[in-house]
Amino acid sequence: MNYFPDEVLEHIFDFVTSQRDRNSVSQVCKPWYKIESSCRQKVFVGNCYAISPERVIERFPGLKSIFLKGKPHFADFNLVPHDWGGFVYPWIEAFARNNVGLEELKLKRMIISDECLELISRSFPNFKSLVLVSCEGFTTDGLAAIASNCRFLRELDLQENDVEDHRGHWLSCIPDTCTSLVSLNFACLKGDVNLAALERLVARSPNLRSLRLNHAVPLDILQKILMRAPHLVDLGVGSYVHDPDSETYNKLVTAIRRCKSVKSLSGFLDVAPHCLSAFHLICPRLTSLNLSYAPGIHGTELVKLIRHCRKLQRLWILDCIGDEGLEVVASTCKDLQEIRVFPSDPFVGNAAVTEVGLVALSRGCPKLQSILYFCQQMTNAALITVAKNCPNFTRFRLCILDPTKPDAVTNQPLDEGFGAIVHSCKGLRRLSMSGQLTDQVFLYIGMYAEQLEMLSIAFAGDTDKGMQYLLNGCKKLRKLEIRDCPFGNAALLMDVGKYETMRSLWMSSCEITLGGCKSLAKKMPRLNVEIINDNDQMEVSADDRQKVEKMYLYRTLAGQRKDAPEFVWTL
Amino acid sequence: MGRGGTSSSSSSFESSNYPSVSSNSSNFSQLKRDLSTDLRLGLSISTSQQDNPSTPSDQQLLDWPPIKPFLREALASEENECNSATFFVKVYMEGIPIGRKLNLLAHEGYQDLVQTLDQMFNTSILWPEMDVENSEQCHVLTYEDKEGDWLIVGDVPWEMFLPSVRRLKITRADSL
Repeated sequence: MNYFPDEVLEHIFDFVTSQRDRNSVSQVCKPWYKIESSCRQKVFVGNCYAISPERVIERFPGLKSIFLKGKPHFADFNLVPHDWGGFVYPWIEAFARNNVGLEELKLKRMIISDECLELISRSFPNFKSLVLVSCEGFTTDGLAAIASNCRFLRELDLQENDVEDHRGHWLSCIPDTCTSLVSLNFACLKGDVNLAALERLVARSPNLRSLRLNHAVPLDILQKILMRAPHLVDLGVGSYVHDPDSETYNKLVTAIRRCKSVKSLSGFLDVAPHCLSAFHLICPRLTSLNLSYAPGIHGTELVKLIRHCRKLQRLWILDCIGDEGLEVVASTCKDLQEIRVFPSDPFVGNAAVTEVGLVALSRGCPKLQSILYFCQQMTNAALITVAKNCPNFTRFRLCILDPTKPDAVTNQPLDEGFGAIVHSCKGLRRLSMSGQLTDQVFLYIGMYAEQLEMLSIAFAGDTDKGMQYLLNGCKKLRKLEIRDCPFGNAALLMDVGKYETMRSLWMSSCEITLGGCKSLAKKMPRLNVEIINDNDQMEVSADDRQKVEKMYLYRTLAGQRKDAPEFVWTL
Repeated sequence: MGRGGTSSSSSSFESSNYPSVSSNSSNFSQLKRDLSTDLRLGLSISTSQQDNPSTPSDQQLLDWPPIKPFLREALASEENECNSATFFVKVYMEGIPIGRKLNLLAHEGYQDLVQTLDQMFNTSILWPEMDVENSEQCHVLTYEDKEGDWLIVGDVPWEMFLPSVRRLKITRADSL
């Protein structure tokens, strides 16, 4: 291959699109590293503190699209203080200074300010796509800047962000000359939008394929929008409250009938369930359905809807569908690949699904690969059956609402059940467990889960051996997050080199001490070992024997970060 | 958050059959006790706390179960709002001058509605599939639609009925 001119190699590498494959390509030899780096356009940085923006720019001069992740995953569950970090401004500032031709920016769990949004809108003339997932720190004023200045805006996708809403004029800021919009998602915005501006925007966007509205868009506007956008592929309905006005309803039915391309449906943020039948028309074509934000839909309505969805590949619902509803899913949705069942009563009350629903799904849906299941109870027998029926799981996440609950029938720990899962699902990459679990389950995971990359554990294990089995076994482990487990320094320090092969480790409410963490930090200079002391539990002169409440460590080439707040100590 | 050692007392959420308590379950119970509420996990929040939403909600665990804040908020607001959408119609029984009012949206369908009306008016409303044993004592449910016509309830799907109904009347079966 060294006899080919660089341009040929570049052309060949163009066909290699996945980040991992490109990383592999760049490791073959020096010339390949050079060529691959010079022509890579899309970069993924899984931990924004693992490397400095300057180094990224230096290595990838052709950078056009970047995906950055900030806070650790447990930040989703209020375990990480809001100002812990994950600020994107230094990155944007570096890109602007170095004249990077940025076109696409995707951020997850990061903090982005209005100033930063404005900087983006003014610094990158070809900027096309902004995707923000679980981010915070900005207001609708920042969105207005993006709307006003990005003349070629194609995609504005806001997923579950915490946005301070200064009312809806941002939408009107998109100039009349901008007709390039392909995707618009503002479902997470809490305030009103200018509805007339929204209608006009849809009318002048012939390429619009994905539209997700927030709750402030009522039925009659939805109907008008659908009339203007019959080529939509992905629709997020905002407010769907019943209006005892049959004319609007009939118009809606007509509009929906025209949308022959809709494959993905979500939203229903405010809903009166009785008029869901208008959507039965689209159901036969749907491949993706997300009703997890619609607690107003009763189980019976859900089931009625699902009976029409024979082509469904992805389903996110609330557990009010019940075990019986899941049996309907299992018998209707034969192409189902991913399902998520969320709890509708979050206050550790009663989940409406049990192991029965899970087994039904495993029996009826042979293509199932990815599951997130919140349930009332589980049994080893059920998990063993599921493991037998579905050996193709790549992601298996089970959350029993009472996290230390044993097998509901035998009162044994759930070690054997999860052991069966990891033994049978040889391609398992992500696992999350709950229920009563001893060290034994970790022995199984260490032995069998060869492809495991991400593991989340809570309230599990008996001794340090549990964590040691894990670290010894799972060669491909990248992210490990542990809370409320009795793992201490012996486990933490058993194989310190392992952490450089991983992206990060989170441990909270475990048995590790300040001394243990200090020792680790000393041995491994290329790890940032952070102690998060948000409740002022530790003093600066704390005793090394004191237990550490929250520790987050990650490998890095950028050294100690300079933006850590006072309550974060990097050892 | 404190952390207890092994505890021999059982808390309400642990299976009462399970003899010994592992340190992890006592972690979880300690977590909950430290929040110093007298809330026991057996209570279902939705039924007991609608009048006083401020008390237990803010003392609930914010980090368990592991769901995102958006979902947590969406579910919490659903609890507090109960039925956000209402549609009250007048209901009269033939021969009784004073009528009642009924929220149609609180019902899932015709069967649900008829059940409520049976209880409200202490009668049995004839339904197409029912056996008619004693038709003189039964009633029939009719409704007035937007055009002012009176029709028998039950001919059209529930979803089509709701937008068109203006009020209900329970008439004697033999007067039709």
